[in-house]
Amino acid sequence: MTTLVAMAYSAVRRMFDQVSATLSSSGRNHLPSRMRRSRSDVNQDEFRCYSVFVARVAIMVMLAILIGLLTLLTWHFTKVYTRASLNSLAYGLRYELLQRPLLRMWRILNSTVEITTSQVRLSEYVIRKYGKGENQAQQVELYESMRDVTWALFSSRRALNSMSIKYRNGFVQAFQRDLRDKNTYYIYSNLDNYTMVEPYSMNRSSTHQEWNDQMIHGNVSAIWYREPLDPDTGRKTGKQQEIPPDELINIAGISQVPDGAASWHVAVSKFTNSPLLSAALPVWDEDRGSIVAVVGVTTALYSVGQLMKELVDLHGGHIYLTSQKGWLLATSSSTPLLRNSSDGYTLMMAKDSQDEIIQSAAKWLNKTYHHKPPLNHEIHSATATLGHERYYIDSFFLNLTRLPMVGVLCIPRKNIMGKVDAREIKTLFILISASVCILVVGCICIFILTNGVSKEMKLRGDLISHIDARRKAEASSNFKSQFLANMSHELRTPMAAVIGLLDILLCDDSLTNEQYATISQIRRCSTALLRLLNNILDISKVESGKLVLEEAEYDLGKELEGLIDMFSVQCKNRNVEAIIDLSDDMPKVVRGDSGRVVQIFANLISNSIKFTTSGYIILRGWCENLNSFSNNENFFVDQRALWSAYQKKIKRNEKRTCKSDNTMILFFEVEDTGCGIDPSKWESVFESFEQADPSTTRLHGGTGLGLCIVRTLVNKMGGEIRVVKKNGSGTLMQLYLILNTPVDIPRESYRLKFAEHNLKVVLALSGRMSGSIISRWLHKLGVPIWEANEWNELTRILQELFKPTSYTQNLTYEHSEAESLNKEGVKMTVFIIVIDIGMLNISTNIWKEQLNFLDAFTRRTKFAWILNHDTSNTIKIELRRRGHSLMVNGPLYKTKMIQIIDAVIKESRLEQSKKYIDSHERLHMNTKNSNSSEITETNSTGSLQNEETNQENFSVYGVVSNCFPELTEVRSEWGQLTSSRNDNSDCEQETRQADQKVKNGQKALAGLHILLAEDTPILQKVATMMLEQMGAKVVVVGDGVQAVEALNIQKEVENVEKSCEPRPFDLILMDCQMPKMDGYEATEAIRRAERESESHIPIVALTAHAMSSDEAKCLQVGMDAYLTKPIDCKLMVSTILSLTKCRT
Amino acid sequence: MASVPQLQRQFIEYTTSLHNEGYLDDQFSQLQKLQDESNPDFVVEVVSLYFEDSEKLLNNLATALQQKSVDYKQVDSHVHQFKGSSSSIGAQRVASVCVHFRNFCEEKNLEGCLRCLQQVKQEYILVRNKLEALFGLEQQILQAGGSIPMME
Repeated sequence: MTTLVAMAYSAVRRMFDQVSATLSSSGRNHLPSRMRRSRSDVNQDEFRCYSVFVARVAIMVMLAILIGLLTLLTWHFTKVYTRASLNSLAYGLRYELLQRPLLRMWRILNSTVEITTSQVRLSEYVIRKYGKGENQAQQVELYESMRDVTWALFSSRRALNSMSIKYRNGFVQAFQRDLRDKNTYYIYSNLDNYTMVEPYSMNRSSTHQEWNDQMIHGNVSAIWYREPLDPDTGRKTGKQQEIPPDELINIAGISQVPDGAASWHVAVSKFTNSPLLSAALPVWDEDRGSIVAVVGVTTALYSVGQLMKELVDLHGGHIYLTSQKGWLLATSSSTPLLRNSSDGYTLMMAKDSQDEIIQSAAKWLNKTYHHKPPLNHEIHSATATLGHERYYIDSFFLNLTRLPMVGVLCIPRKNIMGKVDAREIKTLFILISASVCILVVGCICIFILTNGVSKEMKLRGDLISHIDARRKAEASSNFKSQFLANMSHELRTPMAAVIGLLDILLCDDSLTNEQYATISQIRRCSTALLRLLNNILDISKVESGKLVLEEAEYDLGKELEGLIDMFSVQCKNRNVEAIIDLSDDMPKVVRGDSGRVVQIFANLISNSIKFTTSGYIILRGWCENLNSFSNNENFFVDQRALWSAYQKKIKRNEKRTCKSDNTMILFFEVEDTGCGIDPSKWESVFESFEQADPSTTRLHGGTGLGLCIVRTLVNKMGGEIRVVKKNGSGTLMQLYLILNTPVDIPRESYRLKFAEHNLKVVLALSGRMSGSIISRWLHKLGVPIWEANEWNELTRILQELFKPTSYTQNLTYEHSEAESLNKEGVKMTVFIIVIDIGMLNISTNIWKEQLNFLDAFTRRTKFAWILNHDTSNTIKIELRRRGHSLMVNGPLYKTKMIQIIDAVIKESRLEQSKKYIDSHERLHMNTKNSNSSEITETNSTGSLQNEETNQENFSVYGVVSNCFPELTEVRSEWGQLTSSRNDNSDCEQETRQADQKVKNGQKALAGLHILLAEDTPILQKVATMMLEQMGAKVVVVGDGVQAVEALNIQKEVENVEKSCEPRPFDLILMDCQMPKMDGYEATEAIRRAERESESHIPIVALTAHAMSSDEAKCLQVGMDAYLTKPIDCKLMVSTILSLTKCRT
Repeated sequence: MASVPQLQRQFIEYTTSLHNEGYLDDQFSQLQKLQDESNPDFVVEVVSLYFEDSEKLLNNLATALQQKSVDYKQVDSHVHQFKGSSSSIGAQRVASVCVHFRNFCEEKNLEGCLRCLQQVKQEYILVRNKLEALFGLEQQILQAGGSIPMME
């Protein structure tokens, strides 16, 4: 067992070593293998397989050992316990088996002793009775009675072999049973030679030997007789025969009782083949002085052998009984017990027995105990091997005083344990086979399981490598974006320089034509390249997540109109109409990133222009309030689809949209009449570097980035863009944006305003589309309108309107009459003729005649001229000379129309008032001219169109008013001024005051107390100077710590004396990068301190980093606004004002 | 001695050339606009402050770059400061070299840093000479009793 445990231990140990070795090697290989995965994927796989294999083998071996141990233990314990109990059972059985013959022996001996003793007693009695016999007769009588007595005893005991009495005088009487022929004999010697006296005269002191020897020797010559008897009655049945003395039986003589006590010995008879047990007892005389006779009893041991046979018959095996010296007394076998030697039968030793088993058992005992069979020591051995079988050998002692005996029992092991052994072997076999089965099944299970695990490991490894690869790819893409962002930024600077230098070159007059052409070509290319760079910058900015949309209020309509103005030049050159059509409900001011919105439309429109060779490009815009969308609006075909897409989106981010109530959805369409896009490409045109038709690159140029940028921006603003189906050729792009609008923007209602004046409009525009849009709009407002698309049509309309023959002319007259009649306040009809400069035939000189023709109507109508960008100065001058002061640059759209109408209305009012006071009119004109010229100096549109610029100035102020409260005041006063012009005689003075006020605007910061935290002395100086010039009071500190301290001191002072002589700071200008404590930390500290007092001091960041991420950081730490260095004075003032305004 | 208008014209031409050659930008004209009767020497004051500061910074930079282990953070902050002051005075070219300088700082490129330091020094000296010349002209105009013409 211990060896087995040791073996198992060593095996387990070995296995652990192996497993730990593989584990450690795998651990060691882990990192480097990861690192050089790309290089040695194959090795990695091999290694993984190997490790799986090792793990599998290890698990299997462990399982095998476990199951083996379990089996062995089970087998061992069952075996040990059953064996122990069986052994004890077997021992009991053996003991029992051996005990029974011994008991029988004992009983035989006992009965022999009893018989002998009773014979002795009877003999003593009979001899005493007849002892005094003096004569022969008496002697005979004695012998007769003795014979009877002896017979009685002999016949009562069947087991007795013989019974003899030998008298002192040598006379012998004996009864014998011949066991072979079942005869009983009486044997006696003849009485002739015996004297009767002799025994009595014998000296009592004489030795027994003497008596004995004398008697025996003296009787040698005595004749012995034998007569057969009836075994039952004892009667004589045959004649007496003479037999030689001592021939048949052993007669116990005096020699056998040397000390007067009973003696036992084993004798051999000639007539039986079994040893005999004979006992001898002396018969004493009355006073026990001398022995008168000796009684001998012989018993055959045959019955013991018989019993043994019976016993082993049942159980198998052998029993034998020996004397202490080794003489065989009885066996269970049927082999002879005596040796038939020349001088008759003799006893044989057990080791000489013919029975092999008994022989070998005796030999084994001898060998084991070295020929000295231990006395009083019982032997129990279960492991003796006799012959070819294993035997149990047990020995027992029967301790008779004169005849100690040994009993030996040999039982073949298989008789007792045979079945157990067989079952044991069977059990072992079953156990082993069962464990082998379990092992096999377990191994298969392990194999299957580990197979799954190894597959999973493999998959996981693959997954990890894939994830790694993906991460790498993402990182590299990110790097790419970053790189592009940096690169394009760096590239832009030199490009700007190149373009600037080219411009300088182009200005040079000394260039030849060819050089000029080349340079302008270079410039075009450079511009294109710059545009491309910008696009890439945008894309990479978006991709690298750096694009942050601004949140600022701006006039969307104005931006878009400006855009159309810009593109109209390009369109005009290509003979394409650029039209903008924004619905009236569009919010004027929205919040968002104006630059990006403009970029969206600029990209879309330039894209359209690129592919449109004739026709028009329309930018339509209308709006839906988020909360009030009605489905009956069916302005455009595909709007509903776009709307449903939007609604889906709304459902997704319901929370976000519900927060702001004034969120607007602005729908836009860009429609052109170009070549269109194939429906299959409608989605892909928005991808990077994707163009509907690859060949367009050659034709139209471009990179395909524009629409991608557009879509990214639109998505970023919460909108969507798509191409939709269009009737006719061309492309129709629809998009919507979600923009916030400031609350409660008052909307001017043109309808009311125009309805007050009796307006009539004649539109003479060369572009059909724009004309129809304007006319439709005016029609909706209730303004009567006539349209003309060419000169002839216009003349026809005009003649119809103003010739007295026509009905309309009558009507006009009526109006003019009414006008003349109700001079005080009745509204008169105002005719506006909006006429495109393109109507005039400029190529020839006919245009002057055309103007002459129009002059005829000047008095009754107002002309508004739509100019082109290339309209020559001579025409403008001519027009001015003729009194056509109202001129706008094309294209015409609603805002411009409104301006025109406003101007006309005002003019007509002035004319009205002129009729009352002539002098006033002149004064007014003067002021107006001076004002407008003053402002138009800064305006690029030129100073010629007074009325129009005047109008524009108003709108400019409207926009700016949000940032400039002071200016707003000015503006409102200005408004009052203009509205009260009619009856104001000293408006000139007032306007001067207003001018002064405007100048005072520079002192905008008067009364503000500003803390400036800035470490660079130069900037300190500059900023201080700027602020002080604006009238602010400035305290300068050098770093963030000082700034915080300054605030704290101020607070303490404030707390101590409430008079607040040192004014609290209205604002802090905080440099971001400062020693000791930078602007961010300082701001955070200040904001923390403020949390307790619940105050809020505006903090404006000053930073040299001009990235939007910095702005985000500034705002995050709690700053309110953000200015970049170098400081722009105007921006700073406006920022400061907007921040302090809400406080004061 | 030249006449005042001549000097004035010279002044204007010089200033324009400075702008055109990129030595100065709008920021400088803003500074000039800030100068008024209450603060007649404003520009000179600021510019001399700038000179002092710059020389200190340049010295600092030179010593910082001569260290065995260069503290790029410190160098970077110096350059940043120099850039800030230069741009607020309108010394455009100095500022633009500073930008490159900072890039090298980020890369920890000692060679590039040293090269940039030389460039910055050159540019700075150039700008200083130009500005000093400009102030000299101004001085002459004032001595001649003229007023300094405002730039548009």
